[in-house]
Amino acid sequence: MTRAELDAAFARLGLDVPDRERDECAGAAHYIAELVARLRLPGGRSVAAEPAHVVKFPEG
Amino acid sequence: MVPEHLTIAEAARLIESRELSPVELTESRLDRISRLDGRLNSFIRVLAEDARKEARAAEAEIAAGRYRGPLHGVPIGLKDIYETAGVPTTGHSKVMQDHVPKADAFSVKRLRAAGAVVVGKLATHEFAFGGPSFDLPWPPARNPWNTDCFTGGSSSGTGAAVAAGLVLGGTGSDTGGSIRGPSAYCGLAGIKPTYGLISRMGILPLGFSLDHAGPMAWTAEDCAIMLQAMAGHDPADPASAKVQIPDYRAGLQGGVKGLRIGLIRHFYERDNEANAATRQAIDAAARKYAELGCTVRDVTVAPLEQWSACGVTIMLSESYAIHEDNLKRRFTDYGEIFRDRMALAGLITAADYIQALRRRRELVAELDRAMADLDLVMTAAAPSEAPPIDAVPKFGTLALPSLTMPFNVTGSPAMSVCCGYTGTGLPLSFQIVGKRFADATVLRAAHAYEQATEWRNRRPQL
Repeated sequence: MTRAELDAAFARLGLDVPDRERDECAGAAHYIAELVARLRLPGGRSVAAEPAHVVKFPEG
Repeated sequence: MVPEHLTIAEAARLIESRELSPVELTESRLDRISRLDGRLNSFIRVLAEDARKEARAAEAEIAAGRYRGPLHGVPIGLKDIYETAGVPTTGHSKVMQDHVPKADAFSVKRLRAAGAVVVGKLATHEFAFGGPSFDLPWPPARNPWNTDCFTGGSSSGTGAAVAAGLVLGGTGSDTGGSIRGPSAYCGLAGIKPTYGLISRMGILPLGFSLDHAGPMAWTAEDCAIMLQAMAGHDPADPASAKVQIPDYRAGLQGGVKGLRIGLIRHFYERDNEANAATRQAIDAAARKYAELGCTVRDVTVAPLEQWSACGVTIMLSESYAIHEDNLKRRFTDYGEIFRDRMALAGLITAADYIQALRRRRELVAELDRAMADLDLVMTAAAPSEAPPIDAVPKFGTLALPSLTMPFNVTGSPAMSVCCGYTGTGLPLSFQIVGKRFADATVLRAAHAYEQATEWRNRRPQL
């Protein structure tokens, strides 16, 4: 992620991140991209694979 | 003269037999805090007068024949994310430094009902996540085994205070390892119980679906005593489980002969490589369990980075949602570590979060399958002994997969157990994990190991 892309993302989020810290965040943003990439299985998932913690209504 | 160090069980025996007064015991801890905590920074707030009052009340009750049990008159500390009526609960943050709750957290009420004396509020990483930080209203806690070293986090003050004998036990919380990490680095016993066993009501949240409250103490027996008081259904917590609470302390007896233990070696030998001292200590612990009559065999599950990706994505997403409003309005009122981690958390999308929740279901099923013919699994609690406090990277949570997060993802009971010391005298630990709601088995295994080894006889020299 480039610094310009990060600046745009922080603007969208409404975060007033100090300039010095933006450079560090830009340098670490690849960790997030790698993290979320690991959640996608090769070949994908069945559309019926539901998430944990779907709503469970009380019985009775 | 009150001994420098006492376990909860030892103090309880002396208090019940009236050989030790809760007032004397509390005074001895307050004296110790005033002498030592200037070097440790484990307390945010010492409640000396309240503690004296509670200790006098305990003493009077016991004298009148109304002994409540093994926490009666025992001094403990509370991580400063546990709300306390009329006493500030800050999350170690400027953002909440003036927050004075009207009521105690459910688990605090339970501890008070068991007769515990609350000596004060303990340091934490900011909102149980950002630390060790040097730009907050209070300094970070220091490790009593070497004050240049990290305590682990986020229950940093509890780790330091219990190891130093400033309190006999304390509370922690664990969203990705915040009980087990400081317990490992400070040489304690610390259990993250099954998700839902202890109410989270009145505890400042980090990640709703991963947050666990739990005890930290010197021994597994002390953890059992505290867990007994803290566990139980609370209708005010939507995740609170309605289950029968067993007698955890009675459950410690009987040994471990016949228990089947799986060793998840690849977590710390390949996925997040532990140093030689840690690997040797865990190997020795596995051999000890075999000597005690357990069967121990290697078991393989998904690589650690899979568990960590799932848990960290959920934790960051949920914590961002919790802090979103304040992050927009008061970004620089947070410490730099917390706010910059949260800024990156903001980059996670809704689709990422849902994929993590789908992955969670798969990983829960995977551990269930791996444990189908096992009672427990064990692995490392940390990849090394405590590092220097000034060498903890801001984005370390993202750079290396966490050894503790897998069991937040599954909600399994998981405990840090001290299994030796380095040549420089820093504690080493392993992690022992049970099936959901088999917390008693985890405590029994930890207790058996402690009884069979000498590691609980050593304390930090301050």
